[in-house]
Amino acid sequence: MSDFDPGRRRFLGHLGLAGLGALGASSFLSACASSASGPTTGNGSGAVTIQSNLSSPQAKAAMEKLIANFNAQGKGTASLNTIASETFRTQLPTYLTSANPPDLYTWYAGSVANDYASRNLLLDVSDVWKSLGDYPQSLRTLSTDASGKQIFVPMNNYWWGFFYRKSNFAKWGVQEPKTWTEFLALCETLKSKGVPPIGIGLGDTPWVASAWFDYLNIRINGAPFHRELLAGKQRFDDARVKAVFTRWREALPYFDPKGKAYPFQEATTALLAGKTGMFLIGTFFADAAPKDALGDLDFFRFPIIDPAVPLAEEAPTDGFFASAKTANPTGTKALLTYLSGVEAQEAYVKASSGIVLPANPRAKASDSPLVVKGKAMLDEAKELTQFFNRDSSDALQPTADTALTKFIDKPDQIDAILREWQAGAEKVFKG
Amino acid sequence: MNKLRTGTFHTGMILLSLLWLGPVLWVVVMSTRSFDDIAAHGVGSLPRSFTLDTYRQAWTDGGELRALINSMLVTVPSVALSLGLAAMAAFALSRFRIPGRRTILLLMLAGNLLPPQILLIPVAKFSELTGLYDTLWALIAVQVGFGLGFYTFVLHGFMRDLPGEIQEAATIDGAGTAQIFTRVMLPLTRPALAALGALSFTWIFNDLLWAITVLRTDDNMPVTPALLALQGQFVSSWNVIAAGTVIAAVPTVAVFLRFQRHFVSGLALGAVK
Repeated sequence: MSDFDPGRRRFLGHLGLAGLGALGASSFLSACASSASGPTTGNGSGAVTIQSNLSSPQAKAAMEKLIANFNAQGKGTASLNTIASETFRTQLPTYLTSANPPDLYTWYAGSVANDYASRNLLLDVSDVWKSLGDYPQSLRTLSTDASGKQIFVPMNNYWWGFFYRKSNFAKWGVQEPKTWTEFLALCETLKSKGVPPIGIGLGDTPWVASAWFDYLNIRINGAPFHRELLAGKQRFDDARVKAVFTRWREALPYFDPKGKAYPFQEATTALLAGKTGMFLIGTFFADAAPKDALGDLDFFRFPIIDPAVPLAEEAPTDGFFASAKTANPTGTKALLTYLSGVEAQEAYVKASSGIVLPANPRAKASDSPLVVKGKAMLDEAKELTQFFNRDSSDALQPTADTALTKFIDKPDQIDAILREWQAGAEKVFKG
Repeated sequence: MNKLRTGTFHTGMILLSLLWLGPVLWVVVMSTRSFDDIAAHGVGSLPRSFTLDTYRQAWTDGGELRALINSMLVTVPSVALSLGLAAMAAFALSRFRIPGRRTILLLMLAGNLLPPQILLIPVAKFSELTGLYDTLWALIAVQVGFGLGFYTFVLHGFMRDLPGEIQEAATIDGAGTAQIFTRVMLPLTRPALAALGALSFTWIFNDLLWAITVLRTDDNMPVTPALLALQGQFVSSWNVIAAGTVIAAVPTVAVFLRFQRHFVSGLALGAVK
């Protein structure tokens, strides 16, 4: 029964999405049952279907162009299927476990992909990687599953950083900080000028807070510890995790108090209007900026806290994986080879307005100063992490959202919050 | 004194209706703003730009035409089929001494009390087994199946209160069961059918959950998931989404306006004997 009242419908819709998540989890169990007798309509060895979550207008147009180019080459045919990203996220397990799944999917590299690989849902694309010899080792490792075969083909990545408006920093007479002490001093200066120093947008997008946790953790405890923690090999109530929050607390008074109420897109507006000083966010936020403000944007890396810790940066990698049950593995791999090529990657970077770095080392990124600076920052890093949910799982993300939002509200209850977080995480890892 | 009361009443009511219309107006205004205006000043600020290009974007780039056609292809047959079947079921249950009719009715009602979320997995798997997954047929079947219980229940209550003498008179005149149903009962049930028709149209047209459960190709998606697809992975063009929402609201508003009279009389009918 659907609902008449839009408010209630929306609520039910959210419940529904949550339910779909559960559907995903349990459909793994029932996958064997249904795959035996499923219908075999559709693709066969014909067109390769690509299920895409790139639903923003620019990215969608860019993908459409790539697929049109591929079809024009005559090496095979492909058809693009763009699904709302939120729908895609909840339905992905269903797509993968259905009897007649789409062939290719846009998704994230790292433990999320490996998780599907360990359930034998992903196609071995080692063949495609044979032609990707010049890709950096880090991307190859990232795309390799536990059994040593490649299951992912990266398309591009982007970076996170403290973004600000050059004109505003000049107006306030402040400079980019390098260290944590300088950073806190900068916050103090901005606050004395009546500007909330640190913007954030947690309403509807609570996951934005995870960037703070990720960065503080990789700056204080290093990337290896961070990965182990997110894989369930360390505990959230560990003293080292508490140290992260002790640092965070030093910066907490400088957070924009309104940031809890609005989503990050609104926080972007606040930053651009000079209502906040800076904003720790991924480059995708630039899509929410008016065109005339783009040239005025700059960023600095998350300040160094302990110089002894090897430098790590967040660089979420997006790309593709294919279904193990594809009826047309040859065509799928041909499409993947095309998508990982220089021509396709440059075309994508050009057509999409987002600030992204192509995965192929021979493909040229945009030559805007911002992109050059971002690329240099990532090249300098010893280690790259993805993002909280990408390094762990979509199931662990809500536990982080709960814990971090609570911490921002009630920083003095940190011990209880971490205990709860550990308990929540244990449930997920057992799940 | 009386004037004062009327005055207060009207001011109060005007304020109250503004409260209800406010969000709608807000969406309409937002749909005419440019993206840069919203990005620079936020969604809540006063408009500083005017454009109708958002409607073009929603219509062509967002594929709303295709989505509206899909919505109609699902909604119209679903409404007709579910009301037709429900009317027959209600007729049988209310006018004939079918053994266990109370249990049947309660069972149908009980089905409505189940939250749809727990049925998502069975429905998705079942539509796959029957080969209907990713077709509009699956959506029609789901909508009919889930609507049937409630419509039957409402129509049953309505038909039960129709005087039995009419049916007896028709029987004496030589009408068979089918004739009584089509020529006596259905015309008498028209107010209730019209009211339910308007309701079920909005319900089915506005449904999102089942559409994304049984469909996965964007060309098959009805208008609600298509609106959702206007949202980007991270950033959304709220002006285009607002324009799309305005377009998507037109059919339901039109249906409601057309059936408004029946809707109100349908609700009141049977209230006073």
